Amino acid sequence: MGYLLDSIRALGVTAKNIGRKPVTVQFPKVIRERQERYRTSFALLKDEQGEERCVGCLACERICPSQIIHMSSTKKESPVTGKKRGYLDDFTLDMTACIFCELCVQVCPFDAIVMLKVPHEPGYVREDLVLTMAKLYENAEKPLTWGNGTKLMEMQEPPKPAPAQAAAPVPAPAAAPVPAAVPVPAAAPAPAPVPVPASAAAAEPAKTEAP
Amino acid sequence: MQGLLRGLVYGGLIITVLMTATAWGMWLERKLAARMQSRIGPNVVGKFGLLQPVADLMKLLQKEEIYPIGADRLLFDLAPFLVTTFAIATAAVVPFSAEAVGADLDVGLLWVLALGGLMVIPVWMAGWASNNKFALIGGMRAVAQSISYGVPLVLTSLVAVVFTGTMSLSGIVKFQIEHGWLALWPPGPGVVAFVLFYMALLAESNRIPFDIPEAESELVAGITTEYTGMKFGLLYVGEYVHTMVGSAIAAVIFLGGWDGPFHIASGLHWMVIKTVALFASVYWVRWSLLRFRSDQLMRLCWLYLVPVSLGLVVFAALWRHFVLR
Amino acid sequence: MNARHPGPTSDRYRLEQMDADADLMVLNFGPQHPSTHGVFRIKLILDGEVVVRAIPYAGYLHRGVEKLLERLTFAQGVPIVDKNDYVAPMTNEQALVMAFEKLLKIEVPRRARWMRTIFAELQRIASHMLWLGTFALDMGGALGGGSGVFIYTFRERDYILDLFEMVTGGRFHYNTHTIGGNRHDIPPGWDREVTKVLDLIESRLPEYEAMSSNNAIFVARTKGVGVIDKELALGLGLTGPILRASGVDFDLRRDAPYHAYDELKVNVATATAGDCQARAQVRVAELRDSIRLVRQGLAGLPEGGINGGKPIKMPQQFKTMTGQAYVGIDTPRGELGTFVVAGGGDKGTAPYRCKIRAPSLHALSALPWILPGHTVSDVVVILGSLDPIMGEVDR
Repeated sequence: MGYLLDSIRALGVTAKNIGRKPVTVQFPKVIRERQERYRTSFALLKDEQGEERCVGCLACERICPSQIIHMSSTKKESPVTGKKRGYLDDFTLDMTACIFCELCVQVCPFDAIVMLKVPHEPGYVREDLVLTMAKLYENAEKPLTWGNGTKLMEMQEPPKPAPAQAAAPVPAPAAAPVPAAVPVPAAAPAPAPVPVPASAAAAEPAKTEAP
Repeated sequence: MQGLLRGLVYGGLIITVLMTATAWGMWLERKLAARMQSRIGPNVVGKFGLLQPVADLMKLLQKEEIYPIGADRLLFDLAPFLVTTFAIATAAVVPFSAEAVGADLDVGLLWVLALGGLMVIPVWMAGWASNNKFALIGGMRAVAQSISYGVPLVLTSLVAVVFTGTMSLSGIVKFQIEHGWLALWPPGPGVVAFVLFYMALLAESNRIPFDIPEAESELVAGITTEYTGMKFGLLYVGEYVHTMVGSAIAAVIFLGGWDGPFHIASGLHWMVIKTVALFASVYWVRWSLLRFRSDQLMRLCWLYLVPVSLGLVVFAALWRHFVLR
Repeated sequence: MNARHPGPTSDRYRLEQMDADADLMVLNFGPQHPSTHGVFRIKLILDGEVVVRAIPYAGYLHRGVEKLLERLTFAQGVPIVDKNDYVAPMTNEQALVMAFEKLLKIEVPRRARWMRTIFAELQRIASHMLWLGTFALDMGGALGGGSGVFIYTFRERDYILDLFEMVTGGRFHYNTHTIGGNRHDIPPGWDREVTKVLDLIESRLPEYEAMSSNNAIFVARTKGVGVIDKELALGLGLTGPILRASGVDFDLRRDAPYHAYDELKVNVATATAGDCQARAQVRVAELRDSIRLVRQGLAGLPEGGINGGKPIKMPQQFKTMTGQAYVGIDTPRGELGTFVVAGGGDKGTAPYRCKIRAPSLHALSALPWILPGHTVSDVVVILGSLDPIMGEVDR
């Protein structure tokens, strides 16, 4: 008898779900909106003067846990500033082994390599999955994700407060954790009118300590 | 000669209509299941995915036939055809309306039950011939289950026979038109008999919660593990036809067949509506419940279903003797 | 071990000791099987449908993570372990990162610790949801009611993944923890989204329970099946919900607090039966408690920096030649321990040895003891109730 009653309850649950809207997103036809920080494929950026940002410093090649980034560069005189700096000769990023850890973006000192919000298009051969330099510069046109090297660094290590506030020697955030005086209740998210979450919110405790 | 012609025409009609109905029954099930699970279901092939069964058929026809090493080829090939044949043959005696009946046998119910009982042989053949341990276990479970649940199935049908005094399916319907539907009319026992028949039907057609012969989470795919292509398709269709015919028979025996509620607009359409509703309800149950274990299944059958249906038969006899006269 | 669990090596289960007339059948359950939760093989010796002996074989998903961790530097190792327990990836990161922090003596800011708590509990919710779905799938089949529960829980779990996507940008492989803290701060408005999702899950939990853990068929399938008693559980080193279902009141979150658990109150759910039903009950209770903990964590989330060490700038930036550290945390599956020995790589930039103690591996080691005497149908249920993740078992 218990079987019968519980079965009827289970039938009720499924019947209830008939009334609910399907949650299926039919992927190729409908592409759901990605979050701001969603990260998949890669792009290399150029600065405002149309100059390549990457100088071939090898930071990303060294940090990559899968060791899929390879580059070579030569030093040339910049046509814009006239200073001598590195220029990429070749840059490849093998997407077949990428684990999307975002470390290459984080370590880039020139914000040259960033990630995309749109996924890498599937290919028919393995070579399609290897991002060459040309493909990476093309990708810069696609929607980019929020993060770049500077922003990621700032989020983790907020910039030193302005001199006026830093009258009292503020310990470097890296050295000691700053205990917050009052835990902020969750019901009131982001109490201070701070537009940027990371740097501003993290700078706040420094203010409280200053006086 | 005329009888032969009539038989051929009816036979062809039944096979065509039944297979078509089953194909779109599958579509209905897939849509229903999808909506129960917050999905959309087939919607690419044709409007609302209505051509999905055709696409499935095409896919199955194109597939390669694979024989497992050590398989008994004759039995392996024969089993799917027999499953489908028996399932369709059952439909010959089902009266869809007063006129639309293939063969109005005097022992129509017996024919249905006998063929339903025979289904176990091709299923066991499939399990044995595959030379696969999962299929073998599935086959063994199927035999045990079919034989056990055949008993309450026969006994609950016997309730109807005792009430109506006939084994002809159209005779049973005519009796119900006269006296009221068997599922409702002797209030109480009729419903119980119907529920028991329904449960036995679920078990006979291997549907959850009694689908241990297939049990894809345990036995990979049970007897169908080694089947590919259209032979798999036939086994699959056989099960669906079995369910469809079973629903039709349940509608005939307990829900008054082509008789409308309060005799309103009686006719073929009521039979179709009832059959489809029962068919859909089988899948509603299927997509809502978990599965029993085989020994629990046997216990449920022999300790509860069989005694209760025996009691129902006795009750029907008494009612027939003292009330109906 | 004892009379009830003679153990796989005892005479009772030795093949040559068995009746020569007994008609035994060997059934290879897996590695490609719908219910082995990945690639896992059990060699079942059956008498009819009853298991006489079970011999598990692991290792089909071995990827050499521990060796990789020796080769990569401290900074590079963190994203690698995401792939171990792929149902609760953040817990892997946390265990590894905490061990590295202990070794390198880096303090973690309070905000980062609270964030890690919230992440860990959200992962527990997601993991237990997935477990409930797959457990029902084991019992109800892919073409049955089980798939209903599976898709419902998957649907709600996806909302949790959306939350992680908002914070870290990844849905599955986050790499959001770094040595010394977290890499991503919580974006504004995230807590409202979390509350919304938690409310949704809480309101729909009774539905799943009606279809699975409170259902009479579920109870019939799980009650008294796969009993692991206290002695066996302790003897095999089982942890987490399996241990708690066997009547041992032990939870690292309460008994050896890490993260911010010393400031939060963890209600440890226990059961005494030790069977599959008890394990299910413990997990569902934990699910509810985790929802409460996330709410509490969000309410008390302190302000401050999120990284106590230096953000990763180059692979060789963390160095140590001496010391060793062990950190165990309570993941959805039990105690995930990481043991690191310093002094590997180029002058101590990498661990000399990194051993990961995976709870699932220990859980699977119970199989030879508890499977004999059950039918093939129960094998699936017992395996599901242990909630093994093969990526973690084989590493």
